Amino acid sequence: MTHNLKRLAALSAAAVAIAWSGAAAAQSSDTDTKNFAVVGNVPAMCVGGTIAGTGGTFDMGVLIDINTGLLRTDLAAPPKVLSGSFCSARSTITVNATPMAAQTFTSTPPAGFSRVVDYTATASGWTTTPAAFATGAGSNPAAVQTRATAFSGDITVSVGSFSTNGGATQRLVADTNYQGNVTVTLAVAS
Amino acid sequence: MKRLALTLLAAVALPGIAHAQATDTATADVGVSGTVAKLCMLGTPTPAPVDVGQMANTSGARVGKIAVIAPRTVTLPGSFCNFAGSAITVTATALVSNDASAVEPGFAKAVNYTADVTNWAAGSATVTTAATAGGGSPTASATGPTQPAPKVADLDVTLSNFTAPSDFLLTAGAYSGLVVVKLGPVASGGE
Repeated sequence: MTHNLKRLAALSAAAVAIAWSGAAAAQSSDTDTKNFAVVGNVPAMCVGGTIAGTGGTFDMGVLIDINTGLLRTDLAAPPKVLSGSFCSARSTITVNATPMAAQTFTSTPPAGFSRVVDYTATASGWTTTPAAFATGAGSNPAAVQTRATAFSGDITVSVGSFSTNGGATQRLVADTNYQGNVTVTLAVAS
Repeated sequence: MKRLALTLLAAVALPGIAHAQATDTATADVGVSGTVAKLCMLGTPTPAPVDVGQMANTSGARVGKIAVIAPRTVTLPGSFCNFAGSAITVTATALVSNDASAVEPGFAKAVNYTADVTNWAAGSATVTTAATAGGGSPTASATGPTQPAPKVADLDVTLSNFTAPSDFLLTAGAYSGLVVVKLGPVASGGE
């Protein structure tokens, strides 16, 4: 009996040892680690910024050479700077422009005269190739330029390459107000 | 001598042949012993994952820059250590844009925050990430004070103080970070 008891005790001890090691394998240990993810997002957006300096008008002054009645060949105006522009993602910049047209003399001018001045508007600083729009051109493939990355910086808008609609020999009708419009658009590109 | 011999005989025989004795009662002592391993367990983080949503202002003077993000709290319920001398280590990784491309000048692609684990020891375990604008070095770690007794508690992890490096404009995209909470003995708590 003594031997039997001892054997039983030994078996019990073995069983406990096995059970304990099994439990230890299932448990982590004296140290536990848990983790969780933190996520968020930032939307793609573009902000056009504001025009610095003395307002948003290119004042071209008198458009004609008063000796000839033809369009001046030296028309120029300081560029406008859009500051504070940014896009938080890939973007496109688009420049669009309407010709300078006589606002009072709106009827069809007589032969030899024109009431419209074409020009080219350019937006540079955003893309390697500036976006450019010629009001007299049939199509303007360069008017839309794409930038592959986010960007923050100034956009310089300038006007140039003025020409009389209808040809250089046309004279401009008198009008105190020739007016056109330049629009620069920043957009998130898909 | 005769009495002494009888006593000795009884002492030797009694445990061995108890059932063979005519007496109806016998007593024996059997030692019972066991051990309890040192153990720490953390509850499942709830709620998880944490989605702080849209992080940039879309209008106003701070358009494009980081918005005010409300603190978020995650609970690890029923966390315990069954021994004295334990501590919390919290490791936080800043929210970094999942887009691997390089960041542009004036922009950041990381959002830093403070992770604060409370309700374990006298003080909290607090760490603030310090990722760069380009998302470099996003991970930081800190160990809190020692808990001098076994303890069971609901741990609270509070995420707050969300900031962008240099307060730059935030690059668009999805951002993700990670918080790791570790509970263990002080010796290994600072790993």
